[in-house]
Amino acid sequence: MLFLIYALLNTVFIILISPLFISLIKKVKAYMQGRHGPPLFQTYYMLSKLLKKETVYSNNTSLIIRITPYINVVCVIVASLFVPVVFIPGMTAGFGNVILFLYLLVCAKFFMALAGLDAGSTFGGMGSSREMTFSAVIEPVIIIVFAALGLLLKTTNIYQMFATSLQSSLLINPSTLLISLSLFIILIVESSRIPVDNPETHLELTMIHEAMLLEYSGPDLAMMEMSHAVKQTLLMAVLINVLFPWGLTASPNVLSVSISIISFIAKGAFLAIAVGIFESLFAKSRLFRLPNLFMLAFFFSFSTILFELLK
Amino acid sequence: MMHIQLLDDITKILFVLVLATAALIITVRTLSSLFNVYAIQSWFIAAVAFVLYLKNGSVVLLLLAILTVISKAFLVPYVMRRIQKSMHMKRDLEFRYLTPVGSILVGTAMIFLVYWSFSRFLPELSSDELFIFGSVIGVSLTLMGMMVIFTRKRMITKILGYLTMENGVLLFSLFIAELPFIIELLIVIDLVMLIVLATVLAFGIDSSIDEFHNKLNSYILWFKE
Repeated sequence: MLFLIYALLNTVFIILISPLFISLIKKVKAYMQGRHGPPLFQTYYMLSKLLKKETVYSNNTSLIIRITPYINVVCVIVASLFVPVVFIPGMTAGFGNVILFLYLLVCAKFFMALAGLDAGSTFGGMGSSREMTFSAVIEPVIIIVFAALGLLLKTTNIYQMFATSLQSSLLINPSTLLISLSLFIILIVESSRIPVDNPETHLELTMIHEAMLLEYSGPDLAMMEMSHAVKQTLLMAVLINVLFPWGLTASPNVLSVSISIISFIAKGAFLAIAVGIFESLFAKSRLFRLPNLFMLAFFFSFSTILFELLK
Repeated sequence: MMHIQLLDDITKILFVLVLATAALIITVRTLSSLFNVYAIQSWFIAAVAFVLYLKNGSVVLLLLAILTVISKAFLVPYVMRRIQKSMHMKRDLEFRYLTPVGSILVGTAMIFLVYWSFSRFLPELSSDELFIFGSVIGVSLTLMGMMVIFTRKRMITKILGYLTMENGVLLFSLFIAELPFIIELLIVIDLVMLIVLATVLAFGIDSSIDEFHNKLNSYILWFKE
């Protein structure tokens, strides 16, 4: 029963809050460029507009392009059950495993790449090929980072990870600082932001993520955008709850849950502003220079493992 | 006395930050940010010395921290920036033998190797956890500085490699044994001389003798001051 409440509350909260972070990042970037930028609720307006429109499919497409938005949304929503932000529920069989969490995200990515190829347009194929090339490099790094996180917090269950980091402080586990650098890089890479990918452009030379979505329209596009936003929020939540777990609660009563929700919004907004500033400080890097960034994440997570061994 | 645990924890956080700056020194390409990273690294090492002073109360450590801040966080980056200004060079894009990606992988392997070899005999010398930590990080930093020297092509970044090595040696010496202060002072003076000489050479080595003379003459003012 308690888990059911958690599932409902957590999922609804994450879905509702995700577009806000997307617009907040856009707003920060606009301010850094001296513009006013779109209003904070622009992403919500856009999603509701898209949901009202009709869907157009190319004649050459197959079933893949039609089912991919549903698979994507389902994958990220199931993954969102694995990342508690309202309160930490008790251990439940089958939920919270970090490897399953990663593979749910990868599954969504895999179908997105297939859908990019499906319509047979050159853009989609190019986007898919780039996305898969980078995945082949970043995926081992992500596994190492989460393995280091597991070693640091002595568990492979995300619920327990958060519970442990809630009890310990930064001073007790200084390695969390290193691992959060890696997690930040993963957040940047996985949510296709500068310097890896530019989410605002449809220029053929630079786009990766957007290229795969070019064939989508209407509610399908809304679902794809939504799943991207939720994925970003999930990765942000992992980083926030490992580094600054203050406010998160393990006791499910009304007061502490509302404190936890408010603190998550505040911390998430802070992180979104940080991401926006980070994006504004860097230029899009050349494609072949990107492994450099991934290797930094690898280095930091590896030194985390070493620090754990030294203890 | 009650703060010893806290001080140890702060030292560990500083180690983490030193390691992060070491990774940046290997990969960053813009010269001015490279100097900034070096200055920040020196601040962290001075902070380690200061925290050790708070813990042990030995005045040498305090002097060492002050000396590090003055020489390495202010003087050396200042001189380097000045040299860079006259060199009309903003970035160092050339690498030899190893790309930054490769250097980071090798650096990771090196840290592990140092840890592996040290963990065999250091625990017998001292059971202090920070002692092992500090020596592993210090030696790895030295080796990473060495890697900077052979992977970068420009002279000015090679000098930064020497400086990183020196930082590593300092960190190592902070934990392994207490160096007499006078030796530390001499090392710093050597360091400053090394920079002056090396940058003058780096600056002139690619030009003809006449130009080199003119360029050298522009530095005479420094010694007159």
